[in-house]
Amino acid sequence: MSYDDVEIEDMEWNEELQSFTYPCPCGDLFQITKEDLRLGEEIARCPSCSLYITVIYNPEDFNEDKSKGKKKGNAIQQAQQPVSVA
Amino acid sequence: MEEGSRREEPQKEEEIWSWGAGTDGQLGTGKLKDELLPQLLHLPSLAASAAGSISMLACGGAHVVALTSGGRVLTWGRGTSGQLGHGEMVNCLYPKAVNSLEDHVITHVSAGWSHSGFVSDGGCLFTCGDGSFGQLGHGDYSAYSTPAKVSYFVNNHVEQMACGMRHSLVLLKGSLGSQVYGFGSGKRGQLGISVEKIKSANLPRVTAGFEDIQITTITANGDHSASLSVDGKLYTWGRGFSGSPDINVPSCTLPSLSFSQVALGWNHALLLTDDGEVFMLGGNRHGVLSNTEKLMNTAPNHLPGTESSSFTSELFILSTSLFLCPLTSFIFLVLITVDGEVMTWGWGEHGQLGLGSTSDETDPCLVRNEKEVVAISRVYCGSGFTYAVKAVD
Repeated sequence: MSYDDVEIEDMEWNEELQSFTYPCPCGDLFQITKEDLRLGEEIARCPSCSLYITVIYNPEDFNEDKSKGKKKGNAIQQAQQPVSVA
Repeated sequence: MEEGSRREEPQKEEEIWSWGAGTDGQLGTGKLKDELLPQLLHLPSLAASAAGSISMLACGGAHVVALTSGGRVLTWGRGTSGQLGHGEMVNCLYPKAVNSLEDHVITHVSAGWSHSGFVSDGGCLFTCGDGSFGQLGHGDYSAYSTPAKVSYFVNNHVEQMACGMRHSLVLLKGSLGSQVYGFGSGKRGQLGISVEKIKSANLPRVTAGFEDIQITTITANGDHSASLSVDGKLYTWGRGFSGSPDINVPSCTLPSLSFSQVALGWNHALLLTDDGEVFMLGGNRHGVLSNTEKLMNTAPNHLPGTESSSFTSELFILSTSLFLCPLTSFIFLVLITVDGEVMTWGWGEHGQLGLGSTSDETDPCLVRNEKEVVAISRVYCGSGFTYAVKAVD
């Protein structure tokens, strides 16, 4: 069961961990990356213990990069189209 | 343990034990690891400083602030936000004196998630550590790695400070009755300064409602705040317990009861009445704190396991021996009985129960150190770790 519900605006961006963080009762930090959020993940885990929190956020706020990624991906796919040799 | 200084007055041979989460050096063992059983500490720097015995400890997220009987301060553990006050942002494995305070006689210390507070006998308040929510009270949102005086109180006499996760409370001494101030994050109403929620304050603001009430103690943890008046009334504000609404200004809680002690966790509060009964607010979030059938909403409940004779009315005579100290993680609880025995229960994943395992316990268990039971006089809890102090005559 989720230990708590925390709004993304109450989490702090940690440059070193490249994650949004929030204090964990065990003394460590609950962490979630931007990539996790982009993928719709809402669980921030603690690396030191089994507790986790549910992150409350607007998925749209993290969608921009995803759409950029898609276009880039398509371009690469097209460039790598297999060419059949008779 | 240490021999004590060569002072005239009778020396108490003190024992300090620690257990629980330890990877930031917060246990003072010199080892960066969790301990599942109480560890007797050998702290040569404490003896060397000839500072006397420990008056009090304040345990935060992963750091410890120790106040000696000589009015000196030593800190150790996590220091990456400057909370140790040594002028740098690194961890410290062993107790190290806070040199910038050596010209002051400190009478009270406090520790939050990542900040620390120090009160001098002259009524000055110093704070250091993380300040990103304004919790240091200096009028900015900067971190301080050396204790800085809170100039707002230059014409007041500060008596106590309490630190929560991202907020601070201050109690002033005054002839017109005590006054309480709050600063830092106010998002859950924990500053108690207005019926309108204040997002944050980086300068002290008066907590509402205590103009005609004499407050004797203040306490804070997580997003909760609480205080006790001279006639035993309990006031709480901040985040609600058990999912009930947040309280933006102090509210008299359980007004029919008189309390002698209150200890806050992140999700619960432990209360000791004048009659020696123990109640709990909240604490049912994980169901490991007790039989969940007994916990209903915010109705206070006798703590399961405390109905036995060791917690009944005989206790209140020696109530100073009963120390309520729910861990800031408020997922585990520590109680000391009248005989100085330590009982813990709740979430045990970091060995913070001191029972030698990482299992959860739903009922209070006696903490034993190997063969003998040590008569503990005081217990202090940080996030996932505990200190127990035994004073020996």
